[in-house]
Amino acid sequence: MIAQEAQYRDWMLAALAGDASAYRMLLAGLTRHLRSYYARRLDSGAAEDAVQETLIAIHARRATYDPHLPFTAWVYGIARYKLIDEYRRHKRRATVPLDEANELFSHDEAEEAIARRDVSKLLAKLPPAKRQLVADIKLDGLSVAEAAQRSGLSESAVKVTVHRAIKSLGEDVNRESQKRQGGDADR
Amino acid sequence: MRTDDLIAQLSAGLEPVKGGAVARLLAGAVLLGIAGSALVLLVLIGPRHDLSGAMTHPGMWTKLAYTFAIAAFGLWLVERAGRPGADMTRPVMALALPLLAIALLAGLQMSAPDADRTGLIMGHSSRVCAALVTLTALPTLAATFWALRRLAPTRLTLAGAGAGLFAGAAGAFVYCFHCTEEAAPFIAIWYTLGIVVVTGLGALLGRSLLRW
Repeated sequence: MIAQEAQYRDWMLAALAGDASAYRMLLAGLTRHLRSYYARRLDSGAAEDAVQETLIAIHARRATYDPHLPFTAWVYGIARYKLIDEYRRHKRRATVPLDEANELFSHDEAEEAIARRDVSKLLAKLPPAKRQLVADIKLDGLSVAEAAQRSGLSESAVKVTVHRAIKSLGEDVNRESQKRQGGDADR
Repeated sequence: MRTDDLIAQLSAGLEPVKGGAVARLLAGAVLLGIAGSALVLLVLIGPRHDLSGAMTHPGMWTKLAYTFAIAAFGLWLVERAGRPGADMTRPVMALALPLLAIALLAGLQMSAPDADRTGLIMGHSSRVCAALVTLTALPTLAATFWALRRLAPTRLTLAGAGAGLFAGAAGAFVYCFHCTEEAAPFIAIWYTLGIVVVTGLGALLGRSLLRW
C-alpha cells in the first residue's frame, strides 16, 4: 500500500461530494508527484504541460474513479496514459510499466530538492579543485578524459583525486549518521 | 497558465459527482446500441417467421443464453476498461465459463451415435452467419465506443477489444431472432466467429478512436 493512499482517497471522496477545499489540497499534493514524475521522463517545457494536462484529465474524468479501488492506482493510470500520449506525439516508442503506482508516489519534487541540496552541501566540504572534478564526473557525466582536459591534470591524477574525494565524503556521511544515531539514543 | 492558477480554477468550479455516473452512461449506451442493432435486424435482415414457436425450442435458448453470458462479461470488461488502474483479469477469466459450456454441449451433440456431424457444424447458413452477426453488431459497437470515449480508457487496444466483444455478443443475441439454426456445434463455431470478428474490429479501431 502506498503511504499517501488513505489521505488522498479521503480528499478524493470529499471532492466527489463537492468539497472544493479538499479538492484543492488533493490537486496540490498530486502536482508535486506529477512534476517529479514527468521531470524525470520529459524535457522541462513538456513536463509542466503534461502536469497541467493530467490535472485537467483528473478533473474531467473524476467520475471514473471507483471508490472500491485504490486511488493512487487510478491517478497513476492517468499519469501513465498522458506520458504515453506525449511520447506518441513525438513519435517516440517507449515501454512504460503498468502496475507501478509507486513510480509516481515514491518521489516528489520537495524530496528531490532536498537530495540536491544535500549533495551540494556535501560537495562544499571539498577544496574547490577537487569539487570541480567530482561535479564534472559524478554529476555532469563527463568522461575522465574530458575532465582531465578541462582541469589540465593527467587522466590518472583525475582518477585518483576523484576516488579519494568520494572516499572522504563517504567517511563524512558515515560519521554524521553515527553522530545522529548516538544523539537519538541519548533522548 | 500557471499550474497554481489551474488548480484554483478547477477547484473553484467543482461540481459534485452523482454516484453511479459510469453505470448510467453505460446503460444508456447499451439501450441505444441494442435498439440500433434490433433495427438493423428488423429492416435489413428480417426476423424469423416462426418466432413464437421457436421460443419453446431448447436450441433457441442455448443461443440466447450463450450470447447473453458473453455480452454480460463483455460489458463488465468495458466498465473495467473505462476506469484507470482497474484490473481486467476477472472479466476475461469469466469468459471461459460460456465458452466451456458451449464447447461441452457441442461435444455432447457431436458424439451422439446417430449424429449428422457435418449438418451439426455447417447447418444451412454457415456462409453468412458471421457476416450477419457483424452487421447486426455495428450499431452497438458505435454506441459502446461513444460511451468509452466519455470514460477514461488507458489501454486503448484492450478497451476497443472489450467494446467489440460486448457489441459482437449483443449483435449475436439480436441475430438469434433471425437465425433458425439450433445445433450447439453451429453456434459454438459460427456465432463465436462473428463475435471474434467484431472483437478484432474493436481492437483495431480502439487505438485511434478511443484517444482522449
